[in-house]
Amino acid sequence: MFPDVLIVGAGVAGLSCAKVLARSGKTVRVIERSRGVGGRCATRRIDGQPVDHGLVFLHGKSPDFLAALREVPGRWREDWPIVVRGTGTPCQPSAFVPGACRMAYASGVTAFPKHLALGLDVVLETTVTGLELGDHDVKLQASQHDQTLSFTGPDVVLALAGPQTLALLDGLPPSSARDTGRAVLAMMPSVPCATVIALYPKSAPPLSWDIWYPETSTALTLVAHDSAKRDDPARMALVLQARPAWSSAVVGADPAEWAPRLLADAAGLIGPWVTQPATWQAQMWRYARSSPECELAGPLVLDLGQGRRVGIAGELFAPGGGVQAAWQSGVDLARRLLDKEQR
Amino acid sequence: MNEIKQRLQDIVDRDANHECSGIGKHALCVRAVAVADLPTRFGDFRIVAFWNNRDAKEHVAIIRGDVIGRAEVPMRVHSECLTGDALGSIRCDCRDQLEAALKRIGELGEGMVLYLRQEGRGIGLLNKIRAYSLQDSGLDTVEANLALGFRDDERDYAIAAHMLRSLDIRSVRVMTNNPNKLEQLKGYGITVAGRIPHVLPPNEHNRFYLETKAKRSGHMITFGAEPRLSEQSDTSIPPGTDG
Repeated sequence: MFPDVLIVGAGVAGLSCAKVLARSGKTVRVIERSRGVGGRCATRRIDGQPVDHGLVFLHGKSPDFLAALREVPGRWREDWPIVVRGTGTPCQPSAFVPGACRMAYASGVTAFPKHLALGLDVVLETTVTGLELGDHDVKLQASQHDQTLSFTGPDVVLALAGPQTLALLDGLPPSSARDTGRAVLAMMPSVPCATVIALYPKSAPPLSWDIWYPETSTALTLVAHDSAKRDDPARMALVLQARPAWSSAVVGADPAEWAPRLLADAAGLIGPWVTQPATWQAQMWRYARSSPECELAGPLVLDLGQGRRVGIAGELFAPGGGVQAAWQSGVDLARRLLDKEQR
Repeated sequence: MNEIKQRLQDIVDRDANHECSGIGKHALCVRAVAVADLPTRFGDFRIVAFWNNRDAKEHVAIIRGDVIGRAEVPMRVHSECLTGDALGSIRCDCRDQLEAALKRIGELGEGMVLYLRQEGRGIGLLNKIRAYSLQDSGLDTVEANLALGFRDDERDYAIAAHMLRSLDIRSVRVMTNNPNKLEQLKGYGITVAGRIPHVLPPNEHNRFYLETKAKRSGHMITFGAEPRLSEQSDTSIPPGTDG
């Protein structure tokens, strides 16, 4: 049996969409490129110690979203980051306005998408490479460990970064709906974020802050004291994230070239010892987030005729940005798909 | 100070410490912050500026005559449209609608326009220009307009309802062609005593707009179903077609 809805991308938007659809009795299959769920809501385990190297904490204002965050079992730190240094602009200034709640899970931010994914049919390590229109359905071409696969369903949800969604829409034959979707996405650029995880022995000088938004650095947008979120961490962990313009300049370059520069910049803030981590890893988030001047009020539903629909969700597709917007866009998209069906 | 203006000033003084549980699901609360005379080409008005707890947008009431504590006050809710109201764009008829309302209230001698400073939601003006850009490229923009944030927003009416409450308006006669607006205001506890049909006199500019509208849809436009974007969710009705 084909599922009712195929969802591309097991980030927070894809999973929240899947969850609402599944609760309404739809059969849903989520297809994810990487080995785990969560997308940019990411935690890497380094020698067993979780480090959040995508977004560094969760925040929101919407009661429904906060309730979803608190459904997750396990310990969390309410209000993290508590001690904020620096007067630079946070990536999400809305996280620090009155009424906004911030939090971090002791086991890493992926606890949230992992909890959303419980009970859902998620196919991992499968990259969707193209979309095709069938007579009464949409086909997804995909590759999984060098094998070619295809999936078929009447409704497809694209819950990816904007440029990735745009690339998939390009494969559909021209139509008014497709062209509208492409035109909207083409106006909404995404920004990259070069990230370095650096680990230090426990004997490193103690830090009195949770996050630092430097006002003077042209390279760093933030340094997160990641190990402050953990219960009894084996090592001190810092996460360094670079500004969009700085990141754009090094997209495609070898991290061995740019990571030491970020470490040196952080050392200028914190102390010379920061340039000498016990170990470090780098990640280039090519599509880290949508630009701050880009924000849509709701998800897109492209009606391709013959009962075929492509829905588009993601951080961009709800007001406010961040994980809350991603989650909300998935929920809103699911409701719109269900609503249109009933009519 | 004139007696009416003094009573408006009293409201401003009273609101200095105003706090309430708010209106609507966004718990919207406003405070009257300042009042001044506003002589206009449509007659002498007073303007009351409001602060609100939701966003950094400053809304205003443009008031003519003695309306405080009164019933059946003629009232129009207008949502800001920079391109139409200030720049004279004829992609929409917002300016015509605003001018018609001010002119009518000027003639009546009393009434008010609640001017809400919100272009769509959030980054509304940017998204409006994006929507125009999409229209320029000839796309069918119904779905895009929805995503860009151009649809009825319940916040409009919550703000308007609280502003009316702050000004101690007992009941209103709403200048609108949209019965839905009346229902929404009633839903927020406002007594609606009636409706004043908001019919625009044709002129060189809105004739162009109305003809375009007629050409494209053949009848009164429905918001969101138009290739052209109307910023005022309450559409104007060409004279002679007002049912």
